[in-house]
Amino acid sequence: MAARRTRRITGPDVSRSTVARAARIAELLQYECSILLELYREKESFTADILVDGRLVSVPPPSSQLDTRDKLWRLHSALLQCRSLLDRAIAREEEELGGGKKGDYETQRKVVKDRLSYLLISTGELLKTAGGPALLTPNLEGLEIDGPTTLFELKLWVHRIFKEVDYWTKMAITTLEALPSVIAKESMMTTRVRSTRSARR
Amino acid sequence: MPHLSVNRSSKPNCRTVWLISVLVGLLAIHTYANDVLPVPQQVSLSANMDSQQLSISWLAGAATTFDLVILRTELDETVLSETVSVMVSQLSGRHEWNWTSVEPLECTSLSIKIRSREGQTTSEWSNTEILQGSDLPSEENFQIFPLDKVVPVGANTTFCCIMKEGNQFGKIRYGNTDLISTRLSRRSYATTVFNQGLSSSSGSNVICYDNTEQLITGVAVFVGYPPLPGDFVCETRDLTSTVCLWNERRDTNLYKSRGTRYTLNNRPCALEWSRNPQKEYRVANWEGKWTLVAVNALGQYSLTDSAKLSHRVNPVAPEHLTSVVHALNATVLWQLKYDGYYSLALVCQVELTSQGYKTKHTFTGVGLRSAVLPDLYPYEDYSVQVRCGAQQNFWKWGSWSETISFKTSSLVPESPDMWVWMNKDYTGQVMWKPLTRRQSRGLMTGYEVTLWSPEEHLQHTEIVPLDIFAVPINLTQIATVSSDNMVMATVTAKNTEGVSQPASVLIPLRLTDVDPLAVSRAVYTDQGFSLFWQSDANATFAYVVEWCNASCKWNCLVDWINVAPGNTNVSIESANFQPGVRYNISLYSSSSEAPELLQRWQGYMQELVPSSPVMSLLTTQQDSDILLSWEQIPLVSRRGFVLGYNIYMSSGSQFTLLANLSDPGSRSYKVKSMPEGSYKFTVKAYTSAGEDTGATASIMLEPFTDRLILEILASLGVTALFLVIVTFICYKKRQWVKKAFYPDIPEPKLPGDWSRSQAPLDVKPPHHSLVHMVERPEWDSSKEALVVIPEEDEDEDGQGIGEALADTDEPTSLRYYNQVVDERPIRPRYPDSSDSSASSLDSARTDVTYTGIQTSGSFVFQLDSHGSSEGHQPQADPSFCAGGGGGYRPQMQSRVVSDDTGPASPNPYPDPEAASGGGYKPQSSWQMDSPVEDGEGGSRAPSLGSPTSIASTQFLLPDGEEHTEEKRQPSSSAATWLTNLLSSTKP
Repeated sequence: MAARRTRRITGPDVSRSTVARAARIAELLQYECSILLELYREKESFTADILVDGRLVSVPPPSSQLDTRDKLWRLHSALLQCRSLLDRAIAREEEELGGGKKGDYETQRKVVKDRLSYLLISTGELLKTAGGPALLTPNLEGLEIDGPTTLFELKLWVHRIFKEVDYWTKMAITTLEALPSVIAKESMMTTRVRSTRSARR
Repeated sequence: MPHLSVNRSSKPNCRTVWLISVLVGLLAIHTYANDVLPVPQQVSLSANMDSQQLSISWLAGAATTFDLVILRTELDETVLSETVSVMVSQLSGRHEWNWTSVEPLECTSLSIKIRSREGQTTSEWSNTEILQGSDLPSEENFQIFPLDKVVPVGANTTFCCIMKEGNQFGKIRYGNTDLISTRLSRRSYATTVFNQGLSSSSGSNVICYDNTEQLITGVAVFVGYPPLPGDFVCETRDLTSTVCLWNERRDTNLYKSRGTRYTLNNRPCALEWSRNPQKEYRVANWEGKWTLVAVNALGQYSLTDSAKLSHRVNPVAPEHLTSVVHALNATVLWQLKYDGYYSLALVCQVELTSQGYKTKHTFTGVGLRSAVLPDLYPYEDYSVQVRCGAQQNFWKWGSWSETISFKTSSLVPESPDMWVWMNKDYTGQVMWKPLTRRQSRGLMTGYEVTLWSPEEHLQHTEIVPLDIFAVPINLTQIATVSSDNMVMATVTAKNTEGVSQPASVLIPLRLTDVDPLAVSRAVYTDQGFSLFWQSDANATFAYVVEWCNASCKWNCLVDWINVAPGNTNVSIESANFQPGVRYNISLYSSSSEAPELLQRWQGYMQELVPSSPVMSLLTTQQDSDILLSWEQIPLVSRRGFVLGYNIYMSSGSQFTLLANLSDPGSRSYKVKSMPEGSYKFTVKAYTSAGEDTGATASIMLEPFTDRLILEILASLGVTALFLVIVTFICYKKRQWVKKAFYPDIPEPKLPGDWSRSQAPLDVKPPHHSLVHMVERPEWDSSKEALVVIPEEDEDEDGQGIGEALADTDEPTSLRYYNQVVDERPIRPRYPDSSDSSASSLDSARTDVTYTGIQTSGSFVFQLDSHGSSEGHQPQADPSFCAGGGGGYRPQMQSRVVSDDTGPASPNPYPDPEAASGGGYKPQSSWQMDSPVEDGEGGSRAPSLGSPTSIASTQFLLPDGEEHTEEKRQPSSSAATWLTNLLSSTKP
């Protein structure tokens, strides 16, 4: 045990622990998002099967051809858009529908927002580890970032954003669970390539 | 409809003419009227969608009455058909009429037409004007109206849903409720929500579904209240500007953009939205009169206020507080924020806080900026804050300033409160109460205790650290060397500032051992022990009341209080009072003389049942009475004033109260006239709290023993006397007794020739031995009938084997222990005299009488434990065979019979003579002489006849043996038996 404790953490270990942490955060976020959706539906008397048409987040379609970095980039980009949408939704909601007493819904909304930020930090680290860009700016082009004009449409829009966060949280869990072995293998391959290159030199 | 049926008459022509004339007349009138009433022209519609109000205007000359018809265009359903009176508007010169629709005006297109009316005469209808709805085919989308409406609580609101072109209507929901809808047009459906309750802060949703319940649209509706402000008041703080304050007395449930907007004197109040109902708005100048209007989507509310500036001064908090501090007072200084205050008569309040207690001091003055705080405690922490108001036309206190703190300077401590406890010798202790923080008045350094004799100028001083509050004293030496009657004990306290005034108590040196006063009882109440005493009217001295645990006798931990002169009562209370503890409370005079004990009380804070029963409970029988006696319960265990004792007699689990002794001094109780038997008594002491557990003592009441002893002594005396008489008679008549009971018997003469080899058992009983064969009719088979009559020497003989061995040549007594199975081996005998042979021969005739000769002090070897423990060892034990041919081996006859004899079979003693010679074998002759016996007894006891067999012992005297005896000596009798016995005892 002592040896295990004092072992130096290597690159693949960092990746694995980061992936595990990110997956754990995503799982938490997914749980918290489901609670938020439940609270929102209860507050607005929406049924669970209320119509939500189309996605709000715009990212390239998934493909088996995507490597780890691209998958992480796609995920990270989608989560970034989610956070932008969520920030805007909360602001609009406070501006036009807020003012009443703060309750469980408002608390949960903040929890989800904060957790999404943590998940973004984790996926950002992973993306950096995988060789992606260090800083990614969310592409808000095409996003319905301002939302609708009528209050009911605004409520539906907020609901759609919560659903979008929920969707991309699930996607994050799926993507992250598939990552550790890949990163480890790729890291090993990278190490081998580097070793080979060093030997050749 | 019979009354409408036509009545056919006989003169139709006249009536027809009349009817035609009437019709013509009416036609003429109608034609005239049409010519007069103008048809409304230029009908114009103006719709306010938010208020759902339709304004209709038209030109119709001087006509004032009109028929209006409003239809839903698409379904041609009448919404309104009404005759109204409308005057020409002076402003526009047109007839104008407003109508508020129940449904939103967007729901569907409405057609409006108007005609003039005057009485029954109407003009032609105007052209139909259509207010276009939102359900036109050109607007294909899903729509719902009204949009985001704000309505008051209790309102009824109608919503309409316009379906998307091509979709079928499903339902309309309000919150969680499905509503009943009506169709307004091909695509438009309406529903009404009645008596609406408060919505959520984000509004209640009205949602319209298509028939698949997939496609939805909706609106939010906000239900709240109109504004209701209150407590509107304006004041000044800087003597220039105005600050107006008010409260929202009701939550309107409308927030942010739908929240209440305010105007003050028609100027909008730029207030940031806040949920705080307290509102404050500042205006740069003093207007003297103000109107506040609160407005929201549901209504408005106005409030007014007016006042002179000087009547509404609310000064701001004083600033920059400082202090100048002394030991007993301090000065607080502050500054005023606005210049106008310096000329204003102010009243200021200084709040002083020390040790959690707050006091307020009020000061006045024009432009007041300082205050002196008197009566402060030295070396005390204080905090201060100040607020002010206008002294004239006081309006309200201003805000508190910030708090400043300071600490007053030190002073010498106060004199300690001291007292002296003296034991019943010249020892005792000087005690004092620790000074409180305030009494210390500085940083304490210690105490000083001094004993001095004023006349002898003897002085002893002791410095005592801070944490000690009692010092033991011993005045024995002073008392012996001093001629004074008094010693003064003084205590002073010291702090960094100096020494306190001394506190002193005079101690008399000539102690009296007398407790002069009776002790009263003190009663404890909610206020403590309430004490009262008589006082001399001229008495000017104070008192000291001292109390301590009554069970303490030496250097007691006492507490005391001082009572001012003139008082005759006091209540003493202490957190140290404990239930069940008796306290001695003493009242002393406190003067320049030595304290004098004036009165003493004892009391309990709360009496409890005694913790232990009475001590040393004893029961004593006094003839038929029982005296119970006990000692009192120790004081510590009493835990209350013992009121008496209950005496119980217990039988099993039942207690019977015998007596209640109400005298607490009782120490005994006599239970009278009790019959013989066993008794158990319990004595329980009781206090006002109840009985203790009780002490119990038992006694067995025996009969009166003196009489019994007398009876026994008398019986013994009579018996002794009888024995003496009998003995005397026997002695006097001994010759007669001998003749009568045991005359001389001739010695037997044996017939036949007894060879040596077949010599009979030659056993010569010792002259001093006497063997009695007792034949008892009540003989018990389990208890053999042979009884040994011990004689004087037997004890000596029986003392040990070794002794017997050393005297083997002497005739030895044959001893019969029929009741004890002695397992020790029998040593064989060798005949040494004819007498003994003869006597033994005689015995041989009844040889079975020798059977069972087991033990004799001289004969018998004492079995060792090995032999005993190996009782079942086989008869083939080599020890049996040690003799080879010679020795007396009585077991040989029985050896084959039973192993049961094993335990009784002794190991033969290794007698050398027995081993070398042939020796006497009584079994052989006996067998020959007693074939019948052998035959009869063989089945029962093959060992019968073995004189030393234990088994034989068992068979010596059963019935079968008796038969044997009878066969051998058919004429035997008791006399013969006695003769034989006596002869064998002859020397």
